[in-house]
Order: sequence, then structure tokens, then C-alpha cells
Amino acid sequence: MARMKFICDAERCIECNGCVTACKNEHEVPWGVNRRRLVTVNDGKPGERSISVACMHCTDAPCMAVCPTDCFYKTDEGVVLHDKDLCIGCGYCFYACPFGAPQFPQAGAFGLRGKMDKCTFCAGGPEVNNSEAEFKKYGRNRLAEGKLPACAEMCSTKALLAGDGEIIASIYRQRAQTRKKGEEVWGWAMAYKMDGKIAPLGVKS
Amino acid sequence: MSRRIAVAVASALALSLGACSEIDQTAKSEKIYAGKKDERAADGANFGGDKKKWEATLAQRNNSQNEYLRTDTKK
Repeated sequence: MARMKFICDAERCIECNGCVTACKNEHEVPWGVNRRRLVTVNDGKPGERSISVACMHCTDAPCMAVCPTDCFYKTDEGVVLHDKDLCIGCGYCFYACPFGAPQFPQAGAFGLRGKMDKCTFCAGGPEVNNSEAEFKKYGRNRLAEGKLPACAEMCSTKALLAGDGEIIASIYRQRAQTRKKGEEVWGWAMAYKMDGKIAPLGVKS
Repeated sequence: MSRRIAVAVASALALSLGACSEIDQTAKSEKIYAGKKDERAADGANFGGDKKKWEATLAQRNNSQNEYLRTDTKK
């Protein structure tokens, strides 16, 4: 069973915003809502790094835990989705999410907040696959078409990888071992200030 | 005495093997999804419920993200 994940290779990301544009275009996301965005660390300084961030489709998603209407669910592939018919736009998920993934359209009067919108891993939502209703509410369902998320497939440097966690982790590992650097930029070593190196292919670290 | 040693060895073996199992990663939440049921990705017009075919198509797409495979470059 595939477990869908994203990895962004900070050594390759050139901050072109192609992934952001691809996402907005693919799903016709309204003005003010950004399902994906770029975060740059040490912007303008030598050695700056950028990563593309969206919903990380957490294994134990905090948005699911805090939702008062229980509108979140997880697909067989580990993609976290929600039912917009149930969402009341309370914003609890926004406060719970460590990645700022939930977005709220605010085009109405008096700062009215609409129903939550977030990255769907291009898997649509609880409507008939590839139907008009699904597209209007959640955007295109590329997974049902046998395709990967548009952001990753559009990425010119293939910095953003999407798909089965096992496969994309092995792609990233092979890259880091081939170029002999970059493994410290993204992952456990960076998060926990470790000096450890990535284990060779086939060996679990 | 030898029985105690045998029990201790058996317990140690059982404990050491216990660490080999994969930790369950499913979310332990009391929450139950209250919304509409979603179709599986393999269902629908494109794959007609053939999960194997869908997984194979997706795996092919997945691996095409690897330039080392795509360009047939040896590491």
C-alpha cells in the first residue's frame, strides 16, 4: 500500500514558484488562497535555501484531531482530505497545522471567512471522481487519472518529489549520496541538529 | 537452575524479536469522519476499479521522477 508523501530537495529548489503556479492553475484556486507556497531561509544571503510547502498529509494529522465537525478523513493512500459540505470555516485546523496548510477564502464582506481549502495531493474530495462537482469544490483529481500532483510533475529541477514515500525517499537518498552533500539540509539531521549521515541504500537509518 | 536460564534466554529472545516489528502508524483518534463517503482513486472511468493497474501506473510515474533511471545513468 502506497503512503503518499512530498519531499522538497532544498539543494535543487531554485525558488521559481513553478509549483505554486502549477497548483493554482490546475485547480483554479481562488484569489487569496495558496495551497502551496515557497519558504526561503536566509533570503538574499549566500547559501540561502528554499523549500516548497503545502499540506504534508500527516500520519497523525492535528487538523483531523481538532475539527469540531469531523470533516477530515484519510484515504487508503494516506492522503488527508476534507468534506467541504461539513466545514464551518472555524479555522481551528489553521491554528493546529504546523505548516500553515489550511487556507480560507476571504473575499466576502466584513472579513467573512469561507470554507477551508488546502492541498488535496491532487486527489479531489468526497464527490464522484473527476466530476464537475469535485472539480468545483476541491480541484482536479489527478490521482484518479493515474497521475501525480501537478506541482511535483511541473517542477523543472525535480526538487519537489511526490508519491509513494518509499520510492521518493529512495530517489532522494540516491541523489544525496551521488552529489555527496545536501543530506544535512532536509530531514532528521537538520531538525534535531544531528551529525548523522544518511544510511546507504537498502539500509534503514 | 537450567530451567531458569532457559526461561531467561527465551524471554530475551522474545524481547529482541519484538523490536523487529513495524510500529503501527495509523492515527489513534476517537474521531469518526462524519462526511460523505469518497470513491477510491482506482474507481471511476480511468481504471474501472482495477487497483493493481492504478498502482502500477502510479509507480511508473513515481519512478520517472528519478533522473538516474530515466537517463539510464549509472551511479
